[in-house]
Amino acid sequence: MAVARPALIEGVRPAGVFTRHDIHGDTVLDCDVVVVGSGAGGAPVAAELAEAGFDVLVVEEGSYYQTRDFTADTSAMVRQLYRDGGATMALGNPPILFQEGRAVGGSTVINGGMSWRTPDDILERWCKDGLDVSSKSLEPYFERVEKRMNVAPMDDDAIGRDNWLLKKGADAKGWEIIGNLRNQTHCVGSNRCAFGCPTGAKQSSLVSYIPRALHYGARVYANVKVESITLHGKRATGVVGHVSLPNGGRGPSVTVRAKLVVAACGAIHTPALLVRSGLSSRSGQLGGNLSLHPNVKCVAIFDENVTGWKGAHQAFQVREFADEGIGTFAAINLPPSVIAMSLPHRGAQLGALMDQYNHMVLAGMLVEDSTTGRVRTIKGRPQAFYQLTKRDTQVMQRGLSLLSELLFAAGAKRILLPFHNAQELANADEARRLLDQPIPPSSWEVVTVHMMGTARMGVDRTQAVTDQFGMMHDVDRLLVADASLFPTPIRVNPMETIMALATRAAGHVIDNARRYLS
Amino acid sequence: MSDFPDFKLSATGRKVALSLVPVICPPEYVQFADAIVTNFELTISVSPLLLRKGVSAGFATYDLGALPRYRKRAHKLTGEDAERYFSSWEHGITPLHVQFARALNQLLSLGCYDVPEVMEAIGYRPAPWIEEVTRKRLTVYAADVRKQEVQILAPDPLRPGFRIEDVRRDRKVGA
Repeated sequence: MAVARPALIEGVRPAGVFTRHDIHGDTVLDCDVVVVGSGAGGAPVAAELAEAGFDVLVVEEGSYYQTRDFTADTSAMVRQLYRDGGATMALGNPPILFQEGRAVGGSTVINGGMSWRTPDDILERWCKDGLDVSSKSLEPYFERVEKRMNVAPMDDDAIGRDNWLLKKGADAKGWEIIGNLRNQTHCVGSNRCAFGCPTGAKQSSLVSYIPRALHYGARVYANVKVESITLHGKRATGVVGHVSLPNGGRGPSVTVRAKLVVAACGAIHTPALLVRSGLSSRSGQLGGNLSLHPNVKCVAIFDENVTGWKGAHQAFQVREFADEGIGTFAAINLPPSVIAMSLPHRGAQLGALMDQYNHMVLAGMLVEDSTTGRVRTIKGRPQAFYQLTKRDTQVMQRGLSLLSELLFAAGAKRILLPFHNAQELANADEARRLLDQPIPPSSWEVVTVHMMGTARMGVDRTQAVTDQFGMMHDVDRLLVADASLFPTPIRVNPMETIMALATRAAGHVIDNARRYLS
Repeated sequence: MSDFPDFKLSATGRKVALSLVPVICPPEYVQFADAIVTNFELTISVSPLLLRKGVSAGFATYDLGALPRYRKRAHKLTGEDAERYFSSWEHGITPLHVQFARALNQLLSLGCYDVPEVMEAIGYRPAPWIEEVTRKRLTVYAADVRKQEVQILAPDPLRPGFRIEDVRRDRKVGA
């Protein structure tokens, strides 16, 4: 008899990590810098400032888990590590499902570990708006981040058959395909990146920046949900929140008094935190400018046994069509439950398809979006709204057609498409004809994990929420350090850009320590 | 300590979910209906509040909606009647009906392929694989793993000349 498996167990914690078990009543804490969020933005700021001698306190809503806690139990991992069990939606037609991490380490615990610098043309675009973010000026920060989390190409023996098939297809088409750079130390291809790396190979913030921050004296408070930033006039003075109980209830209150507040909750929750705190931006851009790299996937079925779950996640990326707004093609194995969920089939049909799970290659593409959405704060909670444009659905349709051609060139026998009521494709001609087919927006199944831009940086306070280091315009001592800062989408995985900007912001704080510590 | 909010379907909700297992899941896995519905509940328990409320309301509507046509509530429908009734929602009287049917299809499929016996049946066995590659990493690459662990903690200040003590001392003098 099958039974539901137990949840993750929180094990022994290192010194400096506190959880709900350590807070027994209303609590007031003091520090130099309070960092809200422990992911790609918060963790580097915390580590850099802690090493410089600042008294740093990190507050994280999610729980603290360690490598040993990450198991093969996919649904337990999703429930524990993903906000809202990974079922958050940006409303629009179609609604877009998006995922965010909610644990110490943030989304770096559940991302694929793709580590790419911001493309030069994107930085040039940002520079034209007056930002000093040329690739040359960011170079030392990229280098530092890459060193800290060991960004490296994959070992060949860790690459699974699904990724080699993607390469075979790209080579057959003569398309540019590149080995992925990832933050990993000898990834051995457990293919569990999205559910917490169980081997410790992925150098997420959880195993790189957070241990470093702790080593240099930072404190990490997990299970603390921040409600708002406290203000004295226009000056941020700390945060207030409460312990988050296992049943979602509210535990003792937690007040942190600080000289500098860092909001690093991601592009959905940072604007909500600022709005809940009574802050606004004269630019009207707080919560606006949301871009999210719409992402679609298809399932290709091969005659050969692929066993895509043995081998590294996204070992290659096809970048051939970047100038058309098609960011990347990649092979992304997912567990059977997640694939079954994405298929419109049911009953015996579903069973017949899923019996071929080990013959499947799941491939995806992301689009550099041409429009923006908005995060609104409703009763204190963020809600994303995003309407795909006709242009972007056309780009997705073209991308899907090209990706299908690639998969057929690799030997695929059938391809299942990511829209409802869609017919399967049986050959490359059908893939090409896909372009002629009108596909209503409501039929698309679109997902994303790249939310960006909702507190954009810029030199002009009438156009941007923060300055170029992430300091909020018109508010003293409030730093934003996450993908909210991006003025535009960046076409590649955003983690390294977030980290580089966060590191640069930490440098700015150190350079101006007298001001921020006064 | 686990992070599972308390969430259980109502008795009727659970009966409706159980009655949908033969409609949505492959026939060979209907024997795991209890586990599938338990997985469904666990997934819903961490979903956004709006979704949780939507599922509860949707189940009630779905259950009662069968009465006019079948003179039975949905959880009592079996075989072709159950299939036909679900299909009528799938192809939708309103977009809400369609969305709800899609959501049920997704969540019960998810619950089904999370049952260990089902994963085993389709040849998905990640636990021994994780064990094997973890062992490989910690033996074949032990030296590099250790080197990275040391690198993570090694001193490497972002601004090498900076001394925070000087700033704090100056502040005290200034005060």
